[in-house]
Amino acid sequence: MKTSTADIITALKTKEVYLQFPQIGRGRYPIRKIEPSKCKVGCPIDTDVKAYLGLISVGKFEKALEVVKRDNPFPGICGRVCVHPCETECRRNEVDQALAICALKRFLADYELNKGRIKNEPIKSSRREKIAVIGSGPAGLTAAHDLVRLGYRVTVFEELPVAGGMLYTGIPEYRLPREIIKTEIDAIRELGVKIELNTRIRDLNKLQRQGYGAIFIAVGAHKGLKLRIPGEDEFEGFLDCITFLRAVNLTGKAKIGKKVVVIGGGNAAIDSARTALRLGSNVHIVYRRSRREMPANAWEVEEAEREGVKMHYLASPVQIIGEDGKVVGMKCIRNRLGPPDSSGRRRPVSIKGSEFQIEADTIIPAISQEPDLSWLPKVHGLKISKWNSFLVDQETLATNLPGIFAGGDCVTGPRTVIEAIAAGHLAARSIDRYLQGKPLRDEAKPRERVEFEIPTQPKGKKERAQMRKLSLQKRRSFKEVELGIAKKRAVEESTRCLRCGLCFECAECTPNCDKRLVALTIPGEASGLLLRVPVDYAQFPLSNEPLQGELSWAKGEGYPVIVEPVIAKVRDDLCRGCGDCVEICDYSAPQLYEQENGVKISIIDQALCKGCGVCATICPSSAITMGHYSDGRINRFVEQSLTKKGIVCFVCNWVYNLIEDVEEVAGLRVIRVICSGRISPALILRAFENGAEGVIGIGCPQGECHYISGNETAEQNFQRAKSILRTLGISAERVKFERLSSDEPERFDEIISSFAEAIKKAR
Amino acid sequence: MEIKTEIQNIVKRTKAYNCVECGKCSSVCPISLLNGVCLPRVTVRKALFETTDVLLRDELLWSCLNCGLCFERCDFDVRFPEFIRDLRIVAHKMGQGGVLSHNGALQSIMRMMASAELRQNRLGWLSRGLETAEKGEYLYFVGCLPYFDTFFAYLDLDLLNIAKSTVKILNYLGITPVLMPDERCCGHDLYWTGDLESFKILAQLNWEAIKATGAKRVITSCPECYYMLKQEYPKYVGKMEVEVIHISQLLSENLPELKFRKPKAEGRKPRKVTFQDPCRLGRFAGVYEEPREVIAAVEGNKLYEMGKNRREAICCGTSGWMTCGTWSKQIQVARLEEARRTGAGLLITSCPKCMIHFKCAQADRDRAKRAKIEIQDLATFVAENLMERR
Ligand SMILES: Cc1cc2nc3c(=O)[nH]c(=O)nc-3n(C[C@H](O)[C@H](O)[C@H](O)COP(=O)(O)OP(=O)(O)OC[C@H]3O[C@@H](n4cnc5c(N)ncnc54)[C@H](O)[C@@H]3O)c2cc1C
Ligand code: SF4
Ligand code: SF4
Repeated sequence: MKTSTADIITALKTKEVYLQFPQIGRGRYPIRKIEPSKCKVGCPIDTDVKAYLGLISVGKFEKALEVVKRDNPFPGICGRVCVHPCETECRRNEVDQALAICALKRFLADYELNKGRIKNEPIKSSRREKIAVIGSGPAGLTAAHDLVRLGYRVTVFEELPVAGGMLYTGIPEYRLPREIIKTEIDAIRELGVKIELNTRIRDLNKLQRQGYGAIFIAVGAHKGLKLRIPGEDEFEGFLDCITFLRAVNLTGKAKIGKKVVVIGGGNAAIDSARTALRLGSNVHIVYRRSRREMPANAWEVEEAEREGVKMHYLASPVQIIGEDGKVVGMKCIRNRLGPPDSSGRRRPVSIKGSEFQIEADTIIPAISQEPDLSWLPKVHGLKISKWNSFLVDQETLATNLPGIFAGGDCVTGPRTVIEAIAAGHLAARSIDRYLQGKPLRDEAKPRERVEFEIPTQPKGKKERAQMRKLSLQKRRSFKEVELGIAKKRAVEESTRCLRCGLCFECAECTPNCDKRLVALTIPGEASGLLLRVPVDYAQFPLSNEPLQGELSWAKGEGYPVIVEPVIAKVRDDLCRGCGDCVEICDYSAPQLYEQENGVKISIIDQALCKGCGVCATICPSSAITMGHYSDGRINRFVEQSLTKKGIVCFVCNWVYNLIEDVEEVAGLRVIRVICSGRISPALILRAFENGAEGVIGIGCPQGECHYISGNETAEQNFQRAKSILRTLGISAERVKFERLSSDEPERFDEIISSFAEAIKKAR
Repeated sequence: MEIKTEIQNIVKRTKAYNCVECGKCSSVCPISLLNGVCLPRVTVRKALFETTDVLLRDELLWSCLNCGLCFERCDFDVRFPEFIRDLRIVAHKMGQGGVLSHNGALQSIMRMMASAELRQNRLGWLSRGLETAEKGEYLYFVGCLPYFDTFFAYLDLDLLNIAKSTVKILNYLGITPVLMPDERCCGHDLYWTGDLESFKILAQLNWEAIKATGAKRVITSCPECYYMLKQEYPKYVGKMEVEVIHISQLLSENLPELKFRKPKAEGRKPRKVTFQDPCRLGRFAGVYEEPREVIAAVEGNKLYEMGKNRREAICCGTSGWMTCGTWSKQIQVARLEEARRTGAGLLITSCPKCMIHFKCAQADRDRAKRAKIEIQDLATFVAENLMERR
């Protein structure tokens, strides 16, 4: 069967593709996928799950935690209470059970805590604008965290004496120890976020007058909904779950009796029940549908039952019964499940004549909450939905008033911690754009969801790690129930990961990454592909010469390819022994060796070289070749593409991945190099010689070079070319080096069009 | 023309058929002495008896320095440097070439200069106090100094000082030289590395520009420009009604008019200097004595000759920005050591390329000690020692 480079690219995007070297043996190299794995897609904040699992599996716990913290300021909290949609998406579900992703996150947080956490350095504010955040829940704190890191001055206002929102006042201590909340909020404080406790905000205009350039409302949803049955509000002993949990969480006690009935099936209901249980009461839960429909986490329900909470499924309250002004019981009616309602769950239909009564001295409704808007002045001008939540633009979290944003539970109604964090990120991004005068919406394309095939090898079935739990006898206290997992078990668990997409995506392809950049060409095809392939040094041929390889992506089907490692090699007759390469290489790959005649020559250690090509750009005698990615080859790309006058745009591998789908702007020639540091003055000059109107190089942002400091060399190389071109009468506007961050790939178009504009003007 | 015939023509033109394989060339060739597979004699033999393929794969084809030592030694008038140059032109047409230093950046600069639309900014270095004109009898052909100065900024050479000094000297002699804003590379390196076509364009453009200034005498500070304008240009642009003069020649003609500073009076010690003969000035153009006369005239300096001087002088190790590697480095270091052995503290040359190559060889810390000697261009040396005019 005939295949082409285009086929390979399609296969790489959609299938498992392997590379093997028939002459060497049976080793197959899974090749990097371009799409994200399902766990990542499932996570509201796009956590690089595979990355941190991969890093745990090789024992790099600190690095793994770093990956988690990239997107999430609350690893210890999420590691305990996150509803982990990632695990629902996990493809291992199709083999046996999902990875214990959440537990592994907790493991990392515990690991750091046990080792002793290093304090964060405060971030210097680089911007004049002040930002006010109302509410110190996960939404508010995440936004504050992001904004302070962007250089803004941020103050969080919290009406309660503690920070954390529902994390502190809702979620009970036995699930989330206060120490953990404090530590993670401290870490945010250390960055420079100010948190004003005991400060209830009542007036948005006042904040604006005080000079806050933007406001983020993240006040949560704290007002319990009414049951709307007779007897409600009439008797003592009737206590909303939020009030109840807040009291227990803040003071350690609450006014409840011995016979408690909780109404509802969400997390708040289960938490209320288990909390009441710990205060020494007998507890019943009344829920109108069956266990299957319960919105609470299944594992929480299970624990509640084990701890002795009595469940009444398929029952609804009809009346509160009181005596002498006090609650004495509740009348209920049994239900059966009818046809599904708009939420897709089957609607409960009451069965006539099935009434029954439960004895109770305390009734805790936990049916749902809505935002409490009593703090807002009468006239505030904000649009409010009929559920009493803030109406915002879903994509930007902007309210109808400029500079005011809202997110988290106060927009969505009661949801989850991770969604609140996602809202915090989005708010920070919008506020930043707002303050910079940029349009709030950007045209980023919606994320694509892709289907994967499960690789069948080499993993067999393997049981998922379970957390140790506090024994039932000890559950009458607020001690943490789940006890985490041990290091050995964590590492074991992480190896269950199927590595969908296979590259860790950890951006570790810097010093420690065991992947080798290779160029693949199909015999008879001119164009090549650059890929990163994991290297098992025992099996991967260590060679600078082109190798015969085979690419396979369907059962048993193989396609011959030529594999050329992209690696620096010194031609010894050309080396002047100047040592420039030794100096510039960030990986200490080149070393000078003295030969018998006393002459020194550089030799590059293949195992250390990452193939960035930085050395090749500065070697005065052109002694360094870069395997497949030779100057000749790059120049040929330039020549072939410059049939008409146009702009030559050199991009590094990573930028290339960001802009892959960008449509070709007229006259623009995108040429991929490995690292931007690979772009030598010679390549730039040559492009002009070939008729380029302008040459632009785009690399990663400062400090984010995947080859440590390749983009700095690029900067210098461009400077050097620029000064020579100036003498040749080619103005400085026509030579440029830019940086593109993976956070805003859409800026690519902007960069190119402003460059094209500048060239036009320069003419 | 068929390649085979072309090669036969080259053999005829350069008298390669005279070769008796005595091997005297190999005994002086600086490359042969280090790299045993490169022997001029063998290359000639391949041209005579082997296939084109074998000939064009010869390593010496691209590592020959064209320094002319072999030709100097040859008793049978085999013009080996020209033989190599013309073979390179053939190879170039076939898409072959040597390894260009600095990844070919310098060749790109030169070829870009062959574009007629080019509008350079090459005279930015002219400072106040330097008098130049747009038309006139004398023209100063600056060469690639403005480019080299930027490109080799990392070697800290201040190459433009050569140009400034030359103008200063000319002004001193009462000459207000024409400087051409549209001067281009003389084409030496492209010509000698096989790119005949680009060279021809450069030559044509330069000649027209020179004619337009009305100049009658063209001064150069670079031996390559000197040699090309004087000896090669006429072959391609026709008879040139100008006299081409190297600055050392002009200086030696005008020695009586030059008043030099008196180091003794200034409390300076006299200096020991030595001189590096650039191949294009020496062996290719026969200018050996003029620079020496000038150096001798500068007061308070004494010239110490290296063992190998004048016709025997060893080249600076690289030519045409090509194949500059371990052999080049070793040649350079050896030559610098030879210069040190004379006891001199200053090595004077009158070619910017010698300067660049030697300084590059000195640049690595390891070698620096063995090869340490100050290096200066003849023009800057003279300008520095001229007495200020009242
Ligand atoms: C009992 C319970 C258990 C839960 N369990 C889980 C779980 O296991 N997993 C999970 O993912 N999610 C769980 N959740 C949901 C989760 O806690 C919330 O979705 C999340 O905390 C919402 O975050 P937020 O920042 O939007 O608001 P909140 O966390 O509610 O924070 C809002 C803050 O704003 C403050 N505030 C309000 N008005 C003002 C004002 N005018 N001035 C100053 N401050 C003000 C409030 O005091 C509060 O601190 C649970 C919720 C409850 C109630
Ligand atoms: S930079 Fe080039 S010439 Fe210098 S030591 Fe390295 S390989 Fe050799
Ligand atoms: S290519 Fe990069 S990693 Fe390899 S030797 Fe050169 S500078 Fe070092």
